Amino acid sequence: MSEQSTRRDALKKLVRGATATGLVGAAGFLVHKAQGQVVWQIDAAQCLNSRLGEVGGKACDLCLKECVVTNSAVRAVNEFSKCGRCYICPAYFNVKSAVNKEGLPSEKLCPRDAILRKPIGEVDPNDPANNFYEYVIDEKKCDGCGKCVMACKEPAGLGSIRLKVRHDICVNCNSCAISTACPKDALFQWSVPQAVLEWKELPHA
Amino acid sequence: MSPVSVALPQSGTEAPRGLKSAPRFLLGLSLVLLLTVFCGGAFAQAIQYERPVDTAPQEKDIGGGYKVPPVQKPLPRSAWLEIFNVVLMAAAMGASTWIVVTKRSRRWLIGLTVATVAYFGFYREGCVCPIGSIQNVAVALVVPDARIPIVVIATFFLPLLFAVFAGRAFCGGVCPLGGIQELVLIKPVTVPRKLDNVLGLLKYVYLGLAIWFAVQPLAQRDFLICRFDPFVGIFRRTGFAYMIATGVGFLLLGMFVGRPYCRYLCPYGGLLAWCSRLAGRGVTITPDKELDCGLCTNACPYGAIDKMRAVRKDCLYCARCYAACPRDREARK
Repeated sequence: MSEQSTRRDALKKLVRGATATGLVGAAGFLVHKAQGQVVWQIDAAQCLNSRLGEVGGKACDLCLKECVVTNSAVRAVNEFSKCGRCYICPAYFNVKSAVNKEGLPSEKLCPRDAILRKPIGEVDPNDPANNFYEYVIDEKKCDGCGKCVMACKEPAGLGSIRLKVRHDICVNCNSCAISTACPKDALFQWSVPQAVLEWKELPHA
Repeated sequence: MSPVSVALPQSGTEAPRGLKSAPRFLLGLSLVLLLTVFCGGAFAQAIQYERPVDTAPQEKDIGGGYKVPPVQKPLPRSAWLEIFNVVLMAAAMGASTWIVVTKRSRRWLIGLTVATVAYFGFYREGCVCPIGSIQNVAVALVVPDARIPIVVIATFFLPLLFAVFAGRAFCGGVCPLGGIQELVLIKPVTVPRKLDNVLGLLKYVYLGLAIWFAVQPLAQRDFLICRFDPFVGIFRRTGFAYMIATGVGFLLLGMFVGRPYCRYLCPYGGLLAWCSRLAGRGVTITPDKELDCGLCTNACPYGAIDKMRAVRKDCLYCARCYAACPRDREARK
C-alpha cells in the first residue's frame, strides 16, 4: 500500500471521528431542550368553538375536515360535572327549529345524532321539564364537527362540551394537519399528563 | 351577567299587544302561584326554563342516587413503546449492516425490508421518522424556546451516526419509505448519469426549503416534508386524496425507476449521502475475486457502482449486486 493512500486513510479516519463527535455533540446540545413524550391536544381557551364570548358564529369544522384520519381524531367531550343538564339543551336541540307538540324543538343539532339524552336523578314522569338530563356523546358517531361545542356556551350553556384530540385514534403526525389549518393556532404538542388531564376554566373573551 | 333566556320555543302564547299591564301582572302572579302549588319543593328546578342554570348541578342537587359518570380520557401509547421503536430502529440498522457487509445476501435483506415496512410502515404508521425529524431538529436548533422530544433527537441522529461508519444502512433495510419502493421495483431502467446527477440536486433544494419553512414563527410554520410525504397515506390507508395519489404515482414510477423518492427528493437521503462519504464499511465489490464482467453495474438500479466500485454516497444497501454476481453466488454455495 502506497504512502499516499495510507495518509488518505488516516485523514479519512480523522474526518470520520470529527463528524461523529460533531453529531454526538449536536445531539448532546439538543438534550438540554429535551422533553418527554408529546401528543397533540386542543387548547380550549384558543379553540374558536369553545372559547367564551365567541357566540353566534358558525361552528368551525376544520378539526373534522383537516384531520388525516377518516372521521377525524377529534371528538366533542362533555365534562359531566360541568354540564348544566338542561331540559332544553342548546347543544342537543336545534333551538331555532319549530316547536313540536311536546313543547320541544323538533330538530336535533348534531348532524350525526351522536348525543344521547336521558333523564337522571329523581325522575318526575309528569313534568319532563322538571328533570335533570344527562347528555352523553357517542364517540363512535361523533366526528368532531364542533357544532355542539359552539352551541353549549353562554348565555345558554355552561361550556361543558369541548373538542379534544382522542389519543387512541390520533396517529400523532409530526406535523398535525389540523394545527396547520387552525385559524387560532389552538393545537399544541403537549406533554402527556397535561394533555390527558387538562381541564381549565376558560377566561372570558 | 344578565339573565338571558335561551332561544326557547315560543309556542305562540305571547300576550296580544295592547293588553294593559295590570292583567298581565295578574296572569304572571297566578302562574307563579300555580307553579308553587304543583311543583312544591321542586320550584327551584323549574327556573331552568328561563335560564338553564348558573352552575352545574352536582350529585346532591340531582338526587336519586345519581353518580356523575367519569369522562372518558383515552391514554396515548406508552412512552416506553416510543423508546422501544428507537431501539428497534437501531437494531434493524445493525441487522442491515450485518446482512450486507458480512452475510452478503439479498434474500435476507428482502426479509428485513418486508419486516420493517410492515412494522414501521403499516403498523406504526410512520410518525415520527428521521426524515420528518429534520424539521423538529431545525426548529429546536433555531427557535430559542422550542422543546424537542428525546425520542425525536435519537431518531434523527442515530441513522446519521450509523452512516458515518457504515454507509446508508438506514436506507436499505430499515426505512419503510425506501422499503416499499424497493419492493415494487421490478423492471429497473437506467437513468442517464447526467440526468441522475441533476435530479439528485433536487433533494438539497427540498432540504433547504423544508428547513426554511420549519424555522418560521409558529403561525407560519409548516412542515413541508410531512405534508408532502408520499407514502404515509398508504401506510395509514387513510388520508387526503392528493397524498394517496402522489404515493401511488411514486410507486408506479418506482416499478421502473429505482426508488425515485429516495434518490431525487428525500432530504434525509441528502444528509445521509454526506455522512456516508466517510464510511469505512458498506457494500463492497470483491476486488480480489472479481471478473470485471460488469454484471453488478448492470444490476444496480441506483447507478451506485462506478468503475466497478460501489459509491458509498449513492449505495442504498439493496444487495442486488451480490445477487447478480456469479462469484458471490459461488461463494454462497
